[in-house]
Amino acid sequence: MKKRKKTAIAGTARSGHAARRPANGRPPAATARSRAATGREGPFTLGGECTVSEAAELKSRLGRLIRVRRPVTLDIGGVERIDTAAMQIIAAFVRDRATQGLVVQWQGSSGALSSAARLLGLAPLLKLPA
Amino acid sequence: MTIDLAQFHDAFFEESFEAIDSMEAALLKLDVGAPDKELINTIFRVAHSIKGGSATFGFSEIASFTHSLETMLDELRSGTMQVSPAISDLLLKSVDVMRAMLRAVQLKQPIDAQKVSDLQFDLELMIAQKKTVPQKPDSAPPAAAAAPAAPAAPAAVASNAPATGTQARAAVPAVQPAGGNAESAAELVHWRIAFRPYPELFARGNDPLRMLRELARLGELQVQADLEPLPAFAALEPQSCYLAWSLELHGAVSESAIRQVFEWAEGDCDLQVDRLQPVLSATTASQPSSNADAQAPTMTAPPAAAPSASVITLPTAATASTPNVSGAVPAAAASAAPAPSAVSKDEVRTELPMPTAPDSGSIRVSVEKIDELMNTVGELVITQAMLSQLSTGLEGTVAEKLRGGLAQLERNMRELQESVMRVRMLPINTVFSRFPRMVRDLAQRLGKQIELKMTGEQTELDKTVLEKIGDPLVHLIRNSIDHGIESPAARAAAGKPPAGTVHLDACHRGGNIAVEVSDDGGGLDKDRILAKARDRGLVGPEDVLSDEQVYDLIFMPGFSTVDKTTDVSGRGVGMDVVRRNVKELGGKIELRSQRGKGSKCIITLPLTLAIVDGQSVAVGSETYIVPLVSIVESMQLRSSSISRLSGQGEVFSFRGYYLPIVRLYEVFGVEPRTRALDEGLVVVAEGEGHQRIGLFVDDLLGQQQVVIKSLETNYGHIEGVSGATILGDGSVALILDVPGLIRALSTRAAA
Repeated sequence: MKKRKKTAIAGTARSGHAARRPANGRPPAATARSRAATGREGPFTLGGECTVSEAAELKSRLGRLIRVRRPVTLDIGGVERIDTAAMQIIAAFVRDRATQGLVVQWQGSSGALSSAARLLGLAPLLKLPA
Repeated sequence: MTIDLAQFHDAFFEESFEAIDSMEAALLKLDVGAPDKELINTIFRVAHSIKGGSATFGFSEIASFTHSLETMLDELRSGTMQVSPAISDLLLKSVDVMRAMLRAVQLKQPIDAQKVSDLQFDLELMIAQKKTVPQKPDSAPPAAAAAPAAPAAPAAVASNAPATGTQARAAVPAVQPAGGNAESAAELVHWRIAFRPYPELFARGNDPLRMLRELARLGELQVQADLEPLPAFAALEPQSCYLAWSLELHGAVSESAIRQVFEWAEGDCDLQVDRLQPVLSATTASQPSSNADAQAPTMTAPPAAAPSASVITLPTAATASTPNVSGAVPAAAASAAPAPSAVSKDEVRTELPMPTAPDSGSIRVSVEKIDELMNTVGELVITQAMLSQLSTGLEGTVAEKLRGGLAQLERNMRELQESVMRVRMLPINTVFSRFPRMVRDLAQRLGKQIELKMTGEQTELDKTVLEKIGDPLVHLIRNSIDHGIESPAARAAAGKPPAGTVHLDACHRGGNIAVEVSDDGGGLDKDRILAKARDRGLVGPEDVLSDEQVYDLIFMPGFSTVDKTTDVSGRGVGMDVVRRNVKELGGKIELRSQRGKGSKCIITLPLTLAIVDGQSVAVGSETYIVPLVSIVESMQLRSSSISRLSGQGEVFSFRGYYLPIVRLYEVFGVEPRTRALDEGLVVVAEGEGHQRIGLFVDDLLGQQQVVIKSLETNYGHIEGVSGATILGDGSVALILDVPGLIRALSTRAAA
């Protein structure tokens, strides 16, 4: 089931990439879901593989938490591989929440993620635990 | 200003063929399922540079085809397509087609358009089919858009380049060696790099993180991310790249090394590399406006390697000391990688300079130049020997000092000679590299499972030897596969693993190189060989032959035990040719076999054809050189061991055999010191196939390395003499060709 959802999103993105339409076209569904998810408890766990192929899914999952008032905890302990696409999404997530005074906390640590943050110059923004 | 691109064609073809070879080698190493990223990168790089080069030169068919190939490789690289047997077959076929196309263009013959377009269709079909699998949303449209742009070769270049000057410069690097930037690598430099990817960077399988990580390896890296372009989370498109970076890099890094890191992002980013301090050299001064200018500095070097018929790549001092392990393939790929495909407008704008592999540090030099050098060094050796000999007659303190200096000179000479010889040496890998493909194809055709093991590929030997050893090895490997290795069923029945192994090994042994081809197949069937030989009257019905002698039969021209010749082998020509070729190189060939276990063929070759290890022998007032490889041993004869046979002349008994005696003074018509056989010495020498003779000489003088001077070029061919050399005292000594001598002898005996 999960697999098929991902396919659908990626499919939309492909067909409309040139004009960047899907970004605007997709949100209604995603927003509905994210509202539904607002009340969820517990940390948000990042998968072991956070790469461009999972980026769409990561974005839609994080999208549900973007407006959550309570501090959001991201569990990064399981991240084994991460690329710029995923880092970019996390960076936008953290930044957007920060501008609204909302907190993002970190749980666990990941060498891959820390080194990516350092190399991409995102460490000051993400403020990962040492 | 117009530049005739045709003058670069030769270099382009040569580099492209080399590049295709390395591509093929890399393809064969590619594991189905879990391919090595680096390998795919290598393959991609080769395809890319060929595409660029052919587009620059207006070979639009090649450029177009290579583009399709590149697209597929890109998919593989980004992991959206998996390497399957079908794909690897397709890629190998593409290599063949590319090679054929290049050859056709080179010979100005028509390209087999049907074949090309069929394969191109297959490639595109394969790419299109995988597109039904999700992910990588936007790689399709850009690929399609770029496709028509690529083949639009020279016209596009002309119209897009700001000035003809730029266009000319863009063409030059096709033959430019990796010199230029290497020099600046030694000092610590402070670089400022502005890296601004385009949104589609991710979709092309590129990851800035990987590039920055590589940069961080080059030196101390400071990263400043530009978050400005990053849209609000909701508007963010997950697979577009928004971030940009300003980087500062401190380290002993050359600009080309930096640009190489971004090689893959070529066309998908804006890149500016500025050198901040201390000197604003010409290399970096001209950074401004467009990147078309930015690449100019690396291209202004004159085309050092002007097209030349035969060129070998030689490592410079920096890499010569290290065994060029990783160098071989990547260097070939990189040296062929130039020719930025300054083709479409897009590409001109963002083209990075050609990857001047910083690690390869090699230049191309024509073989003639090296031969000239070699010759001069040879003369120098002779002069030095002459001086040493002169000095021995002098007395006094000055003479003592002179001798000291001469000894020093001699040492230096030897080093110089060795270095020059090393320049001509190439790793045997250049020959080995063609075998994986051959083995794969043969195995497929014959329905056998074969694993090719290669070791010692880095063993170096003279280029001339290298060129001539290829064909014999092809024969031997074919033989191993066709006759040696059994079918999987037969192997299973014999309790062996279904996949047979062919092992190719090269190593140095003394002053020689030994190349072994072994297999774990059925081995040679001695009885069958013997039966066949008796059938054909080669061996008498009562003769008892040693193993060695039986195996020797295989080398007889036209000898084959196979009832049916296949298109692979069995005509009985191969082994004869193999042995002849090896002998021509002054080498030896030896067969070992164990029934049911496999066979092994050992070829021993001299490292070089320019120098031979020889035993100098005296005959009267003359000196002759007998190559050490031919000598079995030297001995003084007792008159009791000598006998006269009717029709065969004099013979002597040697380990149970009677060998003919050849009086060298008779052969060359000189007045000897002695004619009595027990007063002189006999050198037992071996020719082809264990044919031995005893060379009667006055005395043995000493062993020495001699520089071979061709008699053919300076005088003419003489049977029994392979060349001449100049001795320390300035006199000329002939180098004996033992197999030739034996041949001459037997024809004389027959006459």
